[in-house]
Amino acid sequence: MRKILCIAVVLLLISQVSWSDDRNAAKELLVTNIESALSILQKKDLVQQEKNKQVTAIVEPLFDFNLMAKLALGRKYWPELSEKNRKKFVDLFVKRLKATYVEKLSLYTNEKVIYGAPVQNGIKILVPTKVVSKDKNYSMLYKLYKSSNGYRIYDVEIEGVSLISTYRSQFNDILNKGTIDDLLAKLEKPENK
Amino acid sequence: MVKKQFFYLLTTLFVLMLLLTGCAHKPKGPLNEAPQDVAKDQRAKTAPEKDDGPVSPPGAADNKQDEFFEEEFETQRVQVADPLYIWNKGMYYINDKLYFWVLKPLARGYRAITPDVFRNCVRNFFHNLTTPIRFVNCLLQGKGNEAASELTKFFINTTIGVLGLGDPASQYPQLAARDDEDLGQTFAKYGIGNGFYIVWPVLGPSTLRDSVGMFGDAFLYPINYVTPLEAELAIRGVDRVNQTSFHIGEYEALKEASIDPYVAIRNSYLQYREKKIKQ
Repeated sequence: MRKILCIAVVLLLISQVSWSDDRNAAKELLVTNIESALSILQKKDLVQQEKNKQVTAIVEPLFDFNLMAKLALGRKYWPELSEKNRKKFVDLFVKRLKATYVEKLSLYTNEKVIYGAPVQNGIKILVPTKVVSKDKNYSMLYKLYKSSNGYRIYDVEIEGVSLISTYRSQFNDILNKGTIDDLLAKLEKPENK
Repeated sequence: MVKKQFFYLLTTLFVLMLLLTGCAHKPKGPLNEAPQDVAKDQRAKTAPEKDDGPVSPPGAADNKQDEFFEEEFETQRVQVADPLYIWNKGMYYINDKLYFWVLKPLARGYRAITPDVFRNCVRNFFHNLTTPIRFVNCLLQGKGNEAASELTKFFINTTIGVLGLGDPASQYPQLAARDDEDLGQTFAKYGIGNGFYIVWPVLGPSTLRDSVGMFGDAFLYPINYVTPLEAELAIRGVDRVNQTSFHIGEYEALKEASIDPYVAIRNSYLQYREKKIKQ
């Protein structure tokens, strides 16, 4: 009996260790990438275009864009799509995501990022951060999961507002009223400039 | 010189506020629109993710993982009825134009002519004045410690901080800024739902519950008792422009990233409130 208990305790300890390893590995990955991206943005001798290129190269591999596209559409509509439309949707959505992200890079003005303690839920690891600037700060939550090739981001929350949820609400609204062609047309032609 | 510009700003704002309160309140009859249908929990199979190529045929192994992700966004997808859709959309357009044509240029000009220290003082001052709202709502939500720290902060900032212009209380980590509590959140804690979505002119997105909360909180806001009304509106205008001066670019970012800004803002508001309620 005691032996079993001992083994159980040891197993528990081991699993604890590996869990905290998971958490730290995910956080480490995020910290390294964000910090190196920030250091590029802080460089004064680079033109914005070059900065965008370098930052994108660092940050993009962190995101699982395919999963993000699928989650943004949701289980209700994704299976209904034809193979061709799926591909078109993923391409357009990812293009859109990247474009809005790159646009924001030029707004960077010496903000710093403070990293909180990561939280694990199964294969998901949430890393809370705080973006601090001269006169304000806001919370940003990076949601990662353990994919077959390392940790990848599948959603980002800014002040509690999830990127994926916001897109999903819009896509569902469009698809409730119209068809996938309407959605693809809207994705192709941004009108909110 | 700065003083003169400031006075000019005040008068402009005041005139604006009068115009807005005068003509923006033409309530249209609420049009009934079926509330957005909630996604049925379809047991449809989703295609699994592979790293090369966007999609591959469904496989049993990955489905469990998909469900795991789906669940998160299914429960997180905050929904609200929008029976006032026509009114709300109209107000969305008005507020949008108001922001780009009036509030943003004002806030920009204001930011350009005032030093950061000044803007921070104004922000601190108004934040200090909203202490009664936060204090009472902390109590109503049974948050004794938070209520005590709100009160302590108020006394430190009103005295040492000179009428709340400074924020010396932030030096003490135990008094660190907590979440802003309001009556809408208190109602939510008591189990009252959002009701329906409503966009107010000038004030922006809200829900029935949060609007009632806003009305109740107003009794605890000292500026509300300033007379004459013109003075009150002018003060509120300054607060608004000052606040906006810290957040230029945020609304634009949200709008640019969206496919349908009206829906995106409605959903973001709900998510944002949901998070505040949980805190």
